[in-house]
Amino acid sequence: MNTRIIISIIMISLGSIAAMLPKTKNSSIQLKADELLREMKRQTYVISADELADLLINQDPSILLIDVRDSVDYAQYHLPGAINIPLKELLDPEWAPYVDQISQKNIFYSNGTTLSSEAWILTKQIGFRNNYILGGGLNKWFSTIIKPEFPATSAPSETWALYETRKAASQYFTGSKAADKEENAVILPPIPRKKKTRVQGGCS
Amino acid sequence: MGPIVPLFNVSNEINLLFAFIIGLGFGFVLEQAGFSSSRKLAGMFYGYDITVLKVFFTAAITGMLGLIFLNFMGLIDLDIIYINEYYITSSIIGGIIMGAGFIIGGFCPGTSFTAAAIGKIDAMWFVAGSIAGIFLFGEIYPLLESIYMSNYEGAVKISNILGIRDGYFALLLIIVASIMFWIGELAEKKFKREDISKEI
Repeated sequence: MNTRIIISIIMISLGSIAAMLPKTKNSSIQLKADELLREMKRQTYVISADELADLLINQDPSILLIDVRDSVDYAQYHLPGAINIPLKELLDPEWAPYVDQISQKNIFYSNGTTLSSEAWILTKQIGFRNNYILGGGLNKWFSTIIKPEFPATSAPSETWALYETRKAASQYFTGSKAADKEENAVILPPIPRKKKTRVQGGCS
Repeated sequence: MGPIVPLFNVSNEINLLFAFIIGLGFGFVLEQAGFSSSRKLAGMFYGYDITVLKVFFTAAITGMLGLIFLNFMGLIDLDIIYINEYYITSSIIGGIIMGAGFIIGGFCPGTSFTAAAIGKIDAMWFVAGSIAGIFLFGEIYPLLESIYMSNYEGAVKISNILGIRDGYFALLLIIVASIMFWIGELAEKKFKREDISKEI
């Protein structure tokens, strides 16, 4: 027998075995539970409301906001520039170009963090990259950016600086004008002063 | 878990280093198998020597079986392996140009480098020509872009198009290759050229 026939027989028998093998799952992409837990502990996937406000105000082109609530909620209110991918449609092939890509940071958000965390875990397990969530969700967004809490008078100057930044951000997002000085100004009655009387007499 | 070098997880430099090491091995084996001889490569076209067909098909089959078995053993993940993307028009045009270059020059890009490395003057000219071609293509790319990018099919596998499992396709390809090798050997006898030396 010549070499060609021997090799052909070996190859065909190996091929027959290959044809009989079951299709194995490709599992290396899926994270093990402990890996996922480690990732969750590190919290690197959370973007705080302040960070997001900064990114939005600077019109950072590298982020894409994804609203994972349903379309009714989305229609009522959504963050500027956000697109709506309800959680149950997240894995539809239609959305794959948004969710499964490596060029942009996707930031999932929902009212709290339940839906967005679910979206994050799903995409993380499949092995999609660049997915983040808005820490605290829209609730936190409202309480920190849209209606920032007025700090105590004795608060350190950093707190005041943060408050002012948030207040400015709030004005950026809500479109409200700066408080009008004239309207709010308290008009105090003029302090009665004694009329100065000229020094009289003498040789004036 | 494979692949050894996941595309996005290593820096470009490390990627190129791996490519360099694998490339050295590839070049060495090509040279040792006698592929730096343009007689051997032209023989494929005239039918008196089908070593090229045998080597490349055997390499493809070995790689294919390796991937299937390693995947079965859970050592490699077929879903994250890079699959070359398929542009129909540029594949056809590129195939014609490559085939013509093959028979005119007597080398394919890889073998031209191995032949140049062992000091063949014609191979050095071939390499210079390839580099000139690369520059020319780069310069006129804007003119060619619409042809180059047309009929994009994405990263497809034949087994996916046919809708069969990778294993079945592998068996099919091996049978086809075995038949091709047999016909090739018949052709070698028919188009035998005593005047062409087997010497490198």
